[in-house]
Amino acid sequence: MTLRDLVLVRLGVALNLVIGQIVAALLLPVYLDSVGTILVAALVGPRAAIMAGLVSQVLNAVISGNFSWLPFAVVQVVIALYAAAAARLGLFRRLATAVPAGIGMGFVAASCSAPISYFLFGGVTAGGVTAVTTVLRALGVPLGVAVASASYSTDLLDKAIACALVCVVLRTLPRTLAARFPALAR
Amino acid sequence: MIGYVEGTSPLHRAHPYTTLAAAAALLMGAFAMTRPLEVWLLVAAALGYAAVGGVLRASARTAVLLSLPIWVVLFVLHGLLGAEPRVLAGPVALSAPGLARALVLGGRVTAIVVGFLTALAATSPHRLVEAMTADGAPFGRAFLLASTLTVLPRMRERAAQILEAQQCRGLRLGGSPFARLRALAPLALPLVLGALAEVDEQVLALDARGAASGARRTALDPPDDSAAQRVLRWTLLALVLAAYGWKFWRMRG
Repeated sequence: MTLRDLVLVRLGVALNLVIGQIVAALLLPVYLDSVGTILVAALVGPRAAIMAGLVSQVLNAVISGNFSWLPFAVVQVVIALYAAAAARLGLFRRLATAVPAGIGMGFVAASCSAPISYFLFGGVTAGGVTAVTTVLRALGVPLGVAVASASYSTDLLDKAIACALVCVVLRTLPRTLAARFPALAR
Repeated sequence: MIGYVEGTSPLHRAHPYTTLAAAAALLMGAFAMTRPLEVWLLVAAALGYAAVGGVLRASARTAVLLSLPIWVVLFVLHGLLGAEPRVLAGPVALSAPGLARALVLGGRVTAIVVGFLTALAATSPHRLVEAMTADGAPFGRAFLLASTLTVLPRMRERAAQILEAQQCRGLRLGGSPFARLRALAPLALPLVLGALAEVDEQVLALDARGAASGARRTALDPPDDSAAQRVLRWTLLALVLAAYGWKFWRMRG
């Protein structure tokens, strides 16, 4: 990994952890905690993005104290790989392709996170996903279906917005800045 | 309490890898345990680990605060809304299998949180970086560990400044969900583009410090690593593997 990759990993981690501050100010029902991972994947590729995702997950646990979230690090790896593939296919060049790519990413991410949430934590993690699970369960929906529905609904929205945001960032990058990332030219 | 706490306990004096290996063993062990008694023995082990580190009271208090919301949701989701048969607890009929499951899941979370809070309280980041350097770990790992935590407050401060500046220019944060979503770009873009613009400067600074050199660095004050500690780390690994072996053997039976 080059020094530039290393600095970008650090930037990706910081974005993953800080963008939540903006989301909280806007009272949006999403987390956007993988924007940094997706951006790093688009700028330099999967290796640095995986590193950004894993470090984010560990630091998030360290800062919040919620160490039981560590098993969800797998989801960050999947997001990094998916984002790198999407970037290679040029899906972040236009909003019209970035949003469907985000929906696909949300589907893949939820397919990984829902089993972890169900089998390891009985559907109880924290935040909005658990709130949706509890409401669905109270309505009589079986636990497995409630956990899956909550994960898919939140992840589809979250990743679609995250990919749209990354697309907007890449489109507004000044040409001099964009030229420093050869992966963008592909 | 989340973070390093100065101390002279055996855990503080131990090699950082030993302290972290114990927390990792608690994490892995928690998912190997499937019965309430086993999980609660693990919670007791985690509390014992915190006592050895001299941070029992602080770790337990923080762990209770962090796990309490999870316990409440577990009680509602599994105890109140769980499957039949039910047991009467005063005026409330609770699910018997749901309560057992809640005890297992809640115990897991509690053991993991106590274990890692203790490891974090007893592991000095400086000693960990020194241990990694002495171990010949690449510069990148130590850099990511040490410098990301320092860059976070700066980014948070910048995000707050952007938020205030855009509000001064008339950006409204309220309104419909779509209006709030539209406000996301003017807030996030300056943060991301500003950070990207600084990448080259930071690369040059690191390069000037010889970070690109592949040469092995010398640790100034590496922590002692005894044979007994290395044996302990391997023993912890063997215990975790044995726990999983037992779990899968029982599942087959």
